[in-house]
Amino acid sequence: MSCHDARESLSAFLDEALAPEERQRVAQHLEGCPECRRELARLEQTVALLHRVEPARAPVGFVDAVTAAARPRPWYRRVVAAVFLPFSVKLPAEATALVMVALLAVYVFDRTPALQESARTQPEVREDPREKSARPAPPTALTDRFARDSSSIERSPESKARPLEKEQDRREAPTARERIASEAETPKQEAAPAPAAPRLDTAPPVAAPPAATAPAAPTSPAPGAAPPVAKDEGAFQKSQAENRQAPVPPTAEGSRGAPAAPRLAAKRAAPSADAVTGIAVRDRDAAERDLAELIARVGGRETGRRREQEATIVEAVVPQPRYAEFTQSLARLGAWRVEAERPDLPAQVHVILRLQ
Amino acid sequence: MREAEAGDAPRFLARLRAGETAAFEELVITYQHRVFGVAVRMLGNAAEAQEVAQEAFLRAHRALADFRGDAKLSTWLYAITSRLCLNRLAKGERRLRRQGEETLLRLAGGERPDVAVERGELEAALQRAIAELPEERRIVVVLRDLEGLSYEEIAEALDLELGTVRSRLHRARADLKDKLERFLP
Repeated sequence: MSCHDARESLSAFLDEALAPEERQRVAQHLEGCPECRRELARLEQTVALLHRVEPARAPVGFVDAVTAAARPRPWYRRVVAAVFLPFSVKLPAEATALVMVALLAVYVFDRTPALQESARTQPEVREDPREKSARPAPPTALTDRFARDSSSIERSPESKARPLEKEQDRREAPTARERIASEAETPKQEAAPAPAAPRLDTAPPVAAPPAATAPAAPTSPAPGAAPPVAKDEGAFQKSQAENRQAPVPPTAEGSRGAPAAPRLAAKRAAPSADAVTGIAVRDRDAAERDLAELIARVGGRETGRRREQEATIVEAVVPQPRYAEFTQSLARLGAWRVEAERPDLPAQVHVILRLQ
Repeated sequence: MREAEAGDAPRFLARLRAGETAAFEELVITYQHRVFGVAVRMLGNAAEAQEVAQEAFLRAHRALADFRGDAKLSTWLYAITSRLCLNRLAKGERRLRRQGEETLLRLAGGERPDVAVERGELEAALQRAIAELPEERRIVVVLRDLEGLSYEEIAEALDLELGTVRSRLHRARADLKDKLERFLP
C-alpha cells in the first residue's frame, strides 16, 4: 500500500470504520512508515481538538417557540397567514384596504344607475346648445333607434302628415325589451358624448312620403312592457344617461314598477324632429301650461302631447325666426338642455320637448 | 445519548405518532441543542440557526404520523436539519453570512465576542476553521466529530454512500489539521 492510499484511509482507520482486511493493510503500512504514523498522530490530535468544541445550546425559549408554532392555529389566523405570509413582500393592510374600497366603489357605481345618472347629467344641465351642436356627428345606431321609436308618440293630424320616418322600421319596431337589449349591445356608440344634431342628419328627408299609418304603429311599449331586469335596466340607463337632462332618482314615485320603459319611450320621441330639448321642471302641470303659452306666444303650435309617468312629451312647430327666442324662454320653465338640434333649421322648426 | 435512546422507545413513538402535544414537547426538549447545534455550525448565525431548527421541528411534527421508525429519531431529525441547512446554503438565502464567524466565536453559552476571545485563541481558531470548511465537508465533520454520529448514520441522514462519507470526512479533517497546525503538539 502506498502512502497516498494509506493516508486516504487514515481518518476511517482512526474511527475503526475500515473493513478488517483494509484495516490490516493500513496497519502494516503504518508499521513501516514513520511519516504516515506522524500523519495519523496529527489527525488524531485534530479530532481530539474538535471534541473540545463546546456543544452549542439552543437559545432560551426555543422549546416554547417551537411548541407554540406547532399548535394548530385558529381558522382566522390561518386565513390571515394565507393572505399575507406567503408573499416575500407582505401586503400592507392599509393599501389592501384602499384597493378593496376602491373596487367596492366602482362596483356600487356600476350597479347603481342613479349614481351614474347624476354623475353624468349634472355637469351638462347648463350646457350651451351651440356648443353641443358643434360636437362630432352622432353615431348611426342612435339615429336609427330614434327613428324607429318615434311611433310611440301620439301625433296630431298635422304631425301625421309630416314625413316622420321609415314606415317599415316602425312596423317592425322591436319590443321594449329587444330594444333595450340591442342598445346594450352598442355601448361604444352610446358612450359617445351626447350627440348634437345626430339623428337628424340621417333621418329621412322632410319631403319624404307621409307616414299615413303612424297612429296605427305600435303603441308605446312602456306601460305594457314588462319591467326590464335590473341588469338590462342598468345597461340601458348607462347608455341613455347622456341624453337625460336632470337626474331622475330611481326611487321616485312610480318608478318602481316599470321605470325604464316610460323613459325609453320619452327618449325615443325624437324621430324626425328638428330639435329635441329636455327640461327639468318642478311642477309639470304648471310647466305644461307655461309651455303651451310660450308656444302660442312665439307663433307656433302644439302638434302632439303625451303624458307619461316621468315625463310629458310635447311636440310643437315653432317658426324658425322666433325659435331662438323660444328656446331662451324655456329657461323660465326650468333647467333645459338641447339634446339634439339640426344645424340648418327649416322655416317651421319641429321641436320635441320633454318635461320631467 | 440516553435521551435519544429513550426517544426511540416504541411507546414514545406511538405517542408522537398519535399527535400527543406532550410527547412532541419532550422530543423538542431532548433534541433542541443537537438540532440547533448542527444548524448553527452550518449556517454560522444564531438567529438563522434558530429559524432553521424551528422549521426542522415543525417539519418533523407534520411528518411524525408517517415516521416508520426505520431510522433512529435522532438520525431522522439530523437528516431534516441537514437538508434544510444545505438547501438554504445552496439557495444563497444568507442574510447574515458575514456575521457567521463572529457568531461561531460565541457559540457556547452566548457570551459576548470579547469574552469568547478570552476563552482562548484555540477555541476561536477551531470555530473559524470549521466555519471555513466547504459545506459538504462541514456537515460531515459536524455530524461525526461534534455530534458523534456513526458513518452509517451520516450516510443515511445525508443520503450518501458510505465511501463518500468516509472521503469527505477525511478531507475535512485534513483541512482542519492544516489550519490548526500551530495548536498541535
